Amino acid sequence: MSEPQSSLLLKKQLAELNKNPVEGFSAGLIDDNDIYRWEVLIIGPPDTLYEGGFFKAHLHFPKEYPLRPPRMKFVTEIWHPNIEKNGDVCISILHEPGDDKWGYEKASERWLPVHTVETILISVISMLADPNDESPANVDAAKEWRESYSEFKRKVAQCVRKSQEDCS
Amino acid sequence: MADDASSSSGCAGNIIDNSINQDELIMKQQREIEKEISETIPLVGELEELSSLEKEYNEDPVYLLKVKDLSSKYKYIRRTRPDGNCFFRAFSYAYLEHLLTDKSEYNKFYEIAKNSKEILVALGFSQFTVEDFYETFMEVVQRVGEQAGGTPESLESVRTELHDKFNKQGYSDYIVVYLRLVTSGQLQTENDFYQNFIEGPRTVTEFCRQEVEPMYKESDHIHIIALSNALNVGVRVKYMDRGEGSQVSEVIAHDFPEGSKPLVHLLYRPGHYDILYA
Repeated sequence: MSEPQSSLLLKKQLAELNKNPVEGFSAGLIDDNDIYRWEVLIIGPPDTLYEGGFFKAHLHFPKEYPLRPPRMKFVTEIWHPNIEKNGDVCISILHEPGDDKWGYEKASERWLPVHTVETILISVISMLADPNDESPANVDAAKEWRESYSEFKRKVAQCVRKSQEDCS
Repeated sequence: MADDASSSSGCAGNIIDNSINQDELIMKQQREIEKEISETIPLVGELEELSSLEKEYNEDPVYLLKVKDLSSKYKYIRRTRPDGNCFFRAFSYAYLEHLLTDKSEYNKFYEIAKNSKEILVALGFSQFTVEDFYETFMEVVQRVGEQAGGTPESLESVRTELHDKFNKQGYSDYIVVYLRLVTSGQLQTENDFYQNFIEGPRTVTEFCRQEVEPMYKESDHIHIIALSNALNVGVRVKYMDRGEGSQVSEVIAHDFPEGSKPLVHLLYRPGHYDILYA
């Protein structure tokens, strides 16, 4: 095995996504020579506050992928309880089982080696539609989402508009 | 624990809470321990005399008696890295090693292994993702098959090759991932039966996603029952712990599936499995 399995697997996924695109996002590499760094464009899911937006995010895969998860970061500004203000995505499936600091009782779905770019993005898109306010990464966004929804909506709408300008 | 401490996020960057800082410290320490383990203990070690266990329990009369009991039945031990994957790694290593000298068992196993991917795909696992792990697993299985029943020299060289592969993270962990998937597949196929073994309100599928499919999750009885049934391989586990038995000095054995002829012998000490040899 001269080329790491991770690199072959990611190439296979990229080819597959190019051949059979999945609704809701498009994917490519940030730099054609680096298979470990992806750029994805997520289309704001219909019937959510994010509808109409185009959100760019980066995925950084470790050499140990798929045994270890990638990190995901939005580069387009986005206001969401489970996305840090700097864009880092906090979703349980991107955490390793070892990071289970909340203990056995509250175990939720963690990283699995069978996850692909497609399954990760499907989870992220579903998170956009349905935030988890019990474990916020952006505490202010979570608070607004709970207590002053109109303010939350306004901030999200602002991000959606801005994302459209960035893309045009 | 704070209200924010729920499960679906582990990102505590914005949360100011002392208990969480404490958690971060524990996690950091945990990582350091893991790093030390991975630098000092091979994924699968060399064969050692069983007496090497005595040294670990010099000060412990109860365990010394148990080691003595164990040494009446076993001569050697092969240690595996305690990384939560040890059952799967120990099982597959010991079984493939056995197959080298048992061609008819190999032929039986080959059919089961070959068909295992279709079972997973039928259960809804994506072909695309299962394939990679399956192929690596089958590559190693087939190497064993090519040499099974061969001359002592050729067996020796393929043993060395197997040992090398099991100590290469890429191969070794891919085998573990695949066996975890097979275990999950068995649990989900026999869902009604296994549901009875699962504590709490979890479904079998949830249990699989949380305790079986993720790497580094430790194996319990249910994992062993499921894998030994899925592959139709007899496993004997010798339990060396402080549990009360009728005789304290005795190391209790369990066979999986019940009543099968064990081809793989494992030593269990709380939280960890190693391989035993007669």
